Amino acid sequence: MSRSASLLNSYGMHVRPMHSGHGVSLPKKSPSVPDLNRTYLGENKSNVSMMSEPKPPNSKPSLVESNSVEDATDLSFIELYEEAEEDENGSGSTTPMTDPIPAAVSYSSELEQTTNSILKDLSHFDRYGFKKQSTYITENEYNSWWSEYSQYCIRRKRKWQDLLEKSGLSTNNDSPDRFPPKSEKLKRYVRKGIPAEWRGNAWWYFARGQEKLNKNKGLYDKILNNLNSSQNGQLRDSDVIERDLNRTFPDNIHFQRKSDDTEEPLMIQSLRRVLIAFSIYNPKIGYCQSMNFLVGLLLLFLDEEKAFWMLVIITSRYLPGVHNVNLEGVNIDQGVLMLCIKEYLPEFWHRIMPKQQARNNEFLYKLPPLTLCTASWFMSCFVGVVPIETTLRIWDCLFYEESHVLFKISLSIIKLSEQELSRHNHHNTRSRPPNKDDDDIEIFQIIQTFPKKLLNPNDIFDRVIFKRRISFNNLNQEEIDRCRKYVTSQRLKHKNYTELVGDKAASSSNRDSKMASDLINDALSSEVYGFKKSLTGVHWNNSIKEKVRQIRRR
Amino acid sequence: MGNSISKVMGKIFGYREMKILMLGLDNAGKTTILYKLKLNKIKTSAPTVGFNVETVSFRNVKFNMWDVGGQDRLRPLWRHYFPATTALIFVIDSQDTERLNEAKEELYSIIGEKEMENVVLLVLANKQDLKGALNPQEISDYLQLNDHLNNQLWCVIGSNALTGQGLVEGLSWITNNTKEK
Repeated sequence: MSRSASLLNSYGMHVRPMHSGHGVSLPKKSPSVPDLNRTYLGENKSNVSMMSEPKPPNSKPSLVESNSVEDATDLSFIELYEEAEEDENGSGSTTPMTDPIPAAVSYSSELEQTTNSILKDLSHFDRYGFKKQSTYITENEYNSWWSEYSQYCIRRKRKWQDLLEKSGLSTNNDSPDRFPPKSEKLKRYVRKGIPAEWRGNAWWYFARGQEKLNKNKGLYDKILNNLNSSQNGQLRDSDVIERDLNRTFPDNIHFQRKSDDTEEPLMIQSLRRVLIAFSIYNPKIGYCQSMNFLVGLLLLFLDEEKAFWMLVIITSRYLPGVHNVNLEGVNIDQGVLMLCIKEYLPEFWHRIMPKQQARNNEFLYKLPPLTLCTASWFMSCFVGVVPIETTLRIWDCLFYEESHVLFKISLSIIKLSEQELSRHNHHNTRSRPPNKDDDDIEIFQIIQTFPKKLLNPNDIFDRVIFKRRISFNNLNQEEIDRCRKYVTSQRLKHKNYTELVGDKAASSSNRDSKMASDLINDALSSEVYGFKKSLTGVHWNNSIKEKVRQIRRR
Repeated sequence: MGNSISKVMGKIFGYREMKILMLGLDNAGKTTILYKLKLNKIKTSAPTVGFNVETVSFRNVKFNMWDVGGQDRLRPLWRHYFPATTALIFVIDSQDTERLNEAKEELYSIIGEKEMENVVLLVLANKQDLKGALNPQEISDYLQLNDHLNNQLWCVIGSNALTGQGLVEGLSWITNNTKEK
C-alpha cells in the first residue's frame, strides 16, 4: 500500500482511510460518535500511534505531524521503547520519543485538560488498547509481569532485526514486508513471538495474503460499493452483526464509544464493513458469532481490506467448515481434539469420558459436554479465551504453522491445568464422585477459567511447547488432517445410519453395539487415523491396536 | 469424603444442588446476569461463544448455572446437553419488542423438548431499566404462558442485571418451587 493512500492506524500501521474510502453508508442504528482518538487528538488525527514504534534515530516522524505531549511518559509502552533506544544508543535517548500521541493542531486548553486526563487513563490500557485488568488478572499483576515481559520483547525484536539483516531483508522503516524462508530457526523465532509492530505484515506474509488479494483485486471495494447501491440494510445477517458490533472488545479503547460522542468509533465502522462484506462474499458462512472477534483483532493490526482477506483465509484454510451454518466443522475439530486427548492425555480422558462411549468411538458423534467449552477456543482462535499477548503469540504460530497449532495449544492448556484438575480429583478419589455431573462441572469450570489467567505466553511455550519430551509436540499438520478426514467420515456414517434406521433404533443398545463394531471395522480397513511418535517410529493409535486384538480374539 | 459430609449436612440443613440452564436470545443479558450473581460485578458484555458455567451459592442451595451462547445458529451445539436440568431461566430483553416473537418461538421450542418436561421455568423480563421496556405482566401476556403451560410451574419476574433487581427473587422462587431431590 502506498503511504499516500493510507493513514497510520493506532499502531502506526497503515490503514485505508476509512471515512471516504468506499462511499459506503451502512445502516447506522445508533447515532454515531467520533472515537476516542478523534475526540481527544483532534480532527483527522484519528489514527495516531498508540503504541510508539522504536524508530531508527534519524527516521522521519510518523505521517501525522505532531506536537509532543509532555505527559506521555505515563504510558508504559512508551517507557518500554525509550529504554530500548537507550540500550541501542548506549546513551540517554537522543530522539524525543514523546510523540506517540500527537495532540491536535488547534490546541485549546480545554482539550489539553482532556488530553491529560486521557493519558492518565491510558495507563490502565495495554499497548493494543485493551484494559489491563480483567476478572482474573489485576492491574498490578499485569504491570509487574509487563515490566519483565517488555524487556523480553525488546530482546526478541533485536534478534529479529539481526535475522532479517542476515537474510538480506530490509526492516523497511520498522515495517518489514518480506520475511526469510521457512526454517526451523524461523519457526522458533515465531514461537518466541513476532515483534508486535511487525505482526500485521508477518501474518499477512505467512498466510500468503497477498496471493489471495492479487487474485481478487478490487473485489472487497466492489462488494461494498454494490452494497451501497442495492440491498442496503436488507441483508440476512446485518441484524445479527449489528447486535454484536458494540459487544466486540468493549474493553478496548479503540472499540469504545464515549457517551457524549456523536459518531461511532472508526474501528466499529470497519468491523461492520468487513463482516457485512464477508457475509456477502461467502453466504455459506454468512456471519457466525466469534467472527467478530477474529476481525476485531485483525483490524488492530491490518487495514480493512487485508483483514477481510485474512478472514477469508482463516475460515477456509485454517478452520475449514468451522463457521459454516451447520457448524459441522466445529464438531469435526472437537472430535479430532478428543482423539488427541485420548492419545496424549489419557488421565484426563478417563475423567471426561464414560467408558461406554469411549469404547465405541461414540464420542465422535456424541461429543462430551467439555467440547462446548473447547469449541469456542477454535471458533475464535483463542481470542478472549486467553489474555491478549498469549492470543497474539498463538496467532503468530497459527499463521506460520497452520491449524495443528490450535490443537497443540489446547492440549497444552489442559496439560498445564492438570495440577488444578488433580487437586479437585483428590477431593473426590476417597469417595467416588457422587455423580458425574459434579465432576463435569468442576472440570468444566477449571478448563474455562484456567486459560484466562495465562497472562504470560511463555508459560505455554516454555513449559509445554518447547519441551521435547512432551509427546504431543510432535503432532503435525498431516496427522491433524488425517484425523479430520477420519472424524468426518465417522460422523457422516453415523448420520447416514441414524437417518436410515431412525434415531430411536440407533440408540437402542443392541444395534448400537452392532453399528459401533461396523464403524470399528471400517476404521480398521481403510482410513485409520494414527499418531506418529517420532522417536519410536510409527505407532498406530493404542486404542485401535486394542480393538484389533479384541477382534482377533473373537 | 468431603462430598459425603456435605451430603449428610445437606440432609440436615436442607443443603442441595441444582443444575440451571440459562437461555434466551443473543444480547438478552444472560452473561451479565450470571456474573452479577456470581461476582456482584458488571462485566462488560461480549457475545458468549459456547458456554459459561458458574456455581452460585444462595441460601443453602448451590446453583450450577449454565449460560449458553445466544446466536441461533450456535444453538445446535448445546441441544444435547439438556438432561438433569432442574430449572430453566429464560432471559428476555424486554425492550426489544421487535424480537419478542422470536424469543417466544425459541422458548416454546425449548420447553417442547422431552428433557424439559419437568423443569420449572423462570422467565426474567430483563432490562427493565430501559425506556419502553415491557413490564413482566405484558411479557407474560405476550408469551401466553397461561394458555400453553398447564403442567409446568412458571413465573415471570422483571429484572435489571445492572442493579441486580429481580435476580435474587428469581433464585428464591426457583428454590421454593423445586422439590428436594
